[in-house]
Amino acid sequence: MLEIKNLTKIYDDGTVALRDISFEVADGEFLIIIGLSGSGKSTLLRCINRLIDPTEGQIIWDGVDVAAAEPNQLREIRRQIGMIFQHFNLVKRSTVFTNVLSGRLGYVNPWSSLLHRFTAEDLEMARQALEQVGITEQAYKRADELSGGQQQRVGIARALMQEPHMILADEPVASLDPVLAHSILGYLEQLNQERGITVLCSLHYLDLVQRYATRVIGLRDGQIVYRGSQEDIRAMTDVEFKEIYGQEAVRVNVGPHVEGGEA
Amino acid sequence: MATRTTQRGSRSSLVSPPVAGVASLILPGLGQILALQVQRGLLLLGSLVTIAGILVWRISLLAPRRIGVMSKIGRALARQPVFVVLALVGSVALWLWGAWDAYQQARPQRQRRGGGIGIFVLVIALFFVLGWEIGEIAPYKFVTELSDARRPLSRVLWPWAAAVTRDTETVSAGADVLSPCDDQPPPPVPEEIPGEPYLVVDPTCGDLTTQDENLQEIPGTLLTVVGRGFAPNTETQLWWVDPIGNEFRMRQGGKYIAFQTDDQGSLELEINMPYRLIPPSSTGRQVHRIEARQISEVGGLKPSENLIHNIEKMIETIVLGMMATFFGIIIAIPVSFLAARNLMSVSPLTLTVYFITRTMMNIIRSIEPMIWAILAVTVVGLGPFAGIIALFVHSVAALGKLYSEAIESIDPGQIEAVQATGATRLQTIMYAVVPQMIPPFVSFSIYRWDINVRMSTIIGMVGGGGIGFLLVQYIRLLDYRSAGICVWFIAITVSILDYTSSEIRRRFV
Repeated sequence: MLEIKNLTKIYDDGTVALRDISFEVADGEFLIIIGLSGSGKSTLLRCINRLIDPTEGQIIWDGVDVAAAEPNQLREIRRQIGMIFQHFNLVKRSTVFTNVLSGRLGYVNPWSSLLHRFTAEDLEMARQALEQVGITEQAYKRADELSGGQQQRVGIARALMQEPHMILADEPVASLDPVLAHSILGYLEQLNQERGITVLCSLHYLDLVQRYATRVIGLRDGQIVYRGSQEDIRAMTDVEFKEIYGQEAVRVNVGPHVEGGEA
Repeated sequence: MATRTTQRGSRSSLVSPPVAGVASLILPGLGQILALQVQRGLLLLGSLVTIAGILVWRISLLAPRRIGVMSKIGRALARQPVFVVLALVGSVALWLWGAWDAYQQARPQRQRRGGGIGIFVLVIALFFVLGWEIGEIAPYKFVTELSDARRPLSRVLWPWAAAVTRDTETVSAGADVLSPCDDQPPPPVPEEIPGEPYLVVDPTCGDLTTQDENLQEIPGTLLTVVGRGFAPNTETQLWWVDPIGNEFRMRQGGKYIAFQTDDQGSLELEINMPYRLIPPSSTGRQVHRIEARQISEVGGLKPSENLIHNIEKMIETIVLGMMATFFGIIIAIPVSFLAARNLMSVSPLTLTVYFITRTMMNIIRSIEPMIWAILAVTVVGLGPFAGIIALFVHSVAALGKLYSEAIESIDPGQIEAVQATGATRLQTIMYAVVPQMIPPFVSFSIYRWDINVRMSTIIGMVGGGGIGFLLVQYIRLLDYRSAGICVWFIAITVSILDYTSSEIRRRFV
C-alpha cells in the first residue's frame, strides 16, 4: 500500500515540478501515469524512492514515511522497490551479468560486494532472472553491445533481483521501437499478475494505457488533472485524452500486440 | 526645392566633394568622416597609421647610424628594397586613393562602396613581406648550403659505424731527444734487440721550432729518424712526447705524418723538431721523446663506448618518463576531483576551490616541461631527478584536466539506477562510478606516459637527465655519428611507444 500525501517538489532553480499531489496505490495495482514531458511524471516516480528529495509532503509505504526515512532505513525501502528507466541506465561498460547482480546490492554484505563477490544463491538468482527475460546467451557481453529492447530486459532482470514489492517504471518504452513496447510491458504485466508486484508506470501511448492500466492518473503542470479506473480508461476517447495532453496531442497507433517478445 | 537639397546633403555629407577630398589629403580619413562615413574614415586612417608606423620602425632599425631622413631611407632601401618600396608606394597610393574616395563618398549619389578588400590585401601583403624579412627566410640556402651539411647529415642518418669498435694493438718504439743541448752527455741511443721494434734518432739533442719577434717560424733541429723491426708495409704514425708527458701526433706542413714501412719493416725519414711550449714550472733537463707507432685492429667487433652510453641513457629516459607519469597519476587523481565541476558545484566554497584548482592547472599546463626542467635544475641540480620533477608537475596539470573532464562526463543515470537498488554510497561508487571512470583514466594515463617518454628524450637538453643530455653533448663535440645513434634510438623508442600506447588504448576503451 502506497500513500502519497500532499507531495510538493520545488527545484533549487524555482521550478515547481509537483504541486500538492495526493493519491493512493493499493497492492497489486498497475497504475499508469500519463502527461506531457515536463508535467512531473519522472519527478513523481523519483520522489517515491527518494532519488529526488521531495520539498513537502509524505510518502507512506507499508506504514513508513519514505520522505522522512534515515539513510539505512531508506536503503531498506529502496531495495524493495525496483526501478526501470527510459534510457535503461545500465552500467554500459560492465557485463550484463554484473548489471543484473547489481540489483542485489541492497541485500548483500556491502564489503564483500566491493570485491564483486556474491553468494552462490545470488548468482543462481541472477541466472534465473536472465532466463526469465530471455537473454541468457548475452550474459557475458558488455551491456552497451545489446539492442535497446534487450537492454530494457536487463533492466527488468536487475529490478527482479531486488525481489521487489513494487516496480517504478519511468517511461520504460519511450526509447524503444513501438513494436517492442508490448514485449517490455508484457513482462511488467506478467510480474504484476503472477507475483502481485505493484507497478507504477509512466506512459505516453493511449493504446498502451488502455491495454495495461488498472488505474490511471493524469498529470499536467505538476498537478493531478485526471483520475480514472480501468473502465474509465477503456472508455476514454481521443477528446478526453487531448484534454490531459493539450490540443496538439495526436493519438499514435502502436499496432497489434505481439506475443512472445520482439518482432 | 532648396530645402530638399540641403536635407539630402546633410544626410549624405557635411561638406562638398572637393572639400572632403582635400580634407582627406590633409588627414587621411577625415574626408570620409566629414562625409559621415565614420567607419570607413577610421579604417583608412588606421591602416595608414599602421603602415607608416611599421615603415618608420623598420627604417630606423635598418639604418640606425644614418642621420637625416633621406639618408636613412636610402640605407633602408639598399638593405630591404622589397618591403620599403612596397610600404612607401602602398602608403602614398593609399593616401591618394583616400582623397579620391572621400571625394566620391561626399557626392550626393554614392556609387562606390568597395575598397575595403584592397586595403586589407595591401596590409596583409605588407605583413607578409615584413614577416619574410624578419624571419630571414631564404629557401635558396637549401641549394647553396646543402653540400656543406652533407657530411654531418649523412653521419646522423646512418651512424652505425660509430656503434661498433675493435680492440687495437700498438707496436711502438721510441728514442729520447734532449732540448736544448747542454754540456752533459746527450741521452743514450737505445740498445737494439733483434726482432723487437727499434728506433734511433740522430742527433739526440737539438732545438725545438720557435718563433721570432715577428712571429716568423724558426725551424728546429733536423732529426734523422731510423727504425727497424716494425711490421712490414704497415701504416706508421710519429708521435712526440714532451717532458711533461703530453703526446702529440706529429705534423708536417699542417698534415699528420703517415707513411708505410718497407718490406723489411724498416723506416727512415727526416723531420724538424716541432714547436712546443713547455711551461716554465718544469725544471731540469728537458728530455723529449719521439715514438713511431703502428696501430692495428685485432679481434672481433664489439659495441663502442658511445653505443653503451646511448643504451644506458635510453633506459634512463624511459624510466624517467615512467616515474614522472606514475607520480603524476597518483597526484592527479585527487586533484581531478577538485577540478570536476559536477562534484564541486555543491556550495560557493567548493566552487571557489574548483576555480582555483582549474586556474592553477591551466597556468602550470601552459608552461612547457622544458621550462619546468630549467626551474627544477636550479633546485635539485642536473640529472634525471630534475627531469622527473618537471614532467611530473606538467603531468599533474594535464592529467588533472583530462581526468576531471572524464568525471564531468559521467552518466548520472547509471548512478541513479544503482542507488535505486538500495546500494550504499561505496557500492554505488564501485558499481556505477568506477566502471565509467576506469577506461578514460587508463586511456589518458597511457597517453600521458607516451607524451612523457617523448618529452624526456629532449628534457636532457636543459640538464634534466636522459638521452637528450647525451645528444646535445655529441652535437657540441661535432660527433655526428654518436648524435645520430641518439636520434635513431629516440625515433625507435618513440615509434614503438606510440604504437603500443595506441594499441592498448584501442583495446581498452
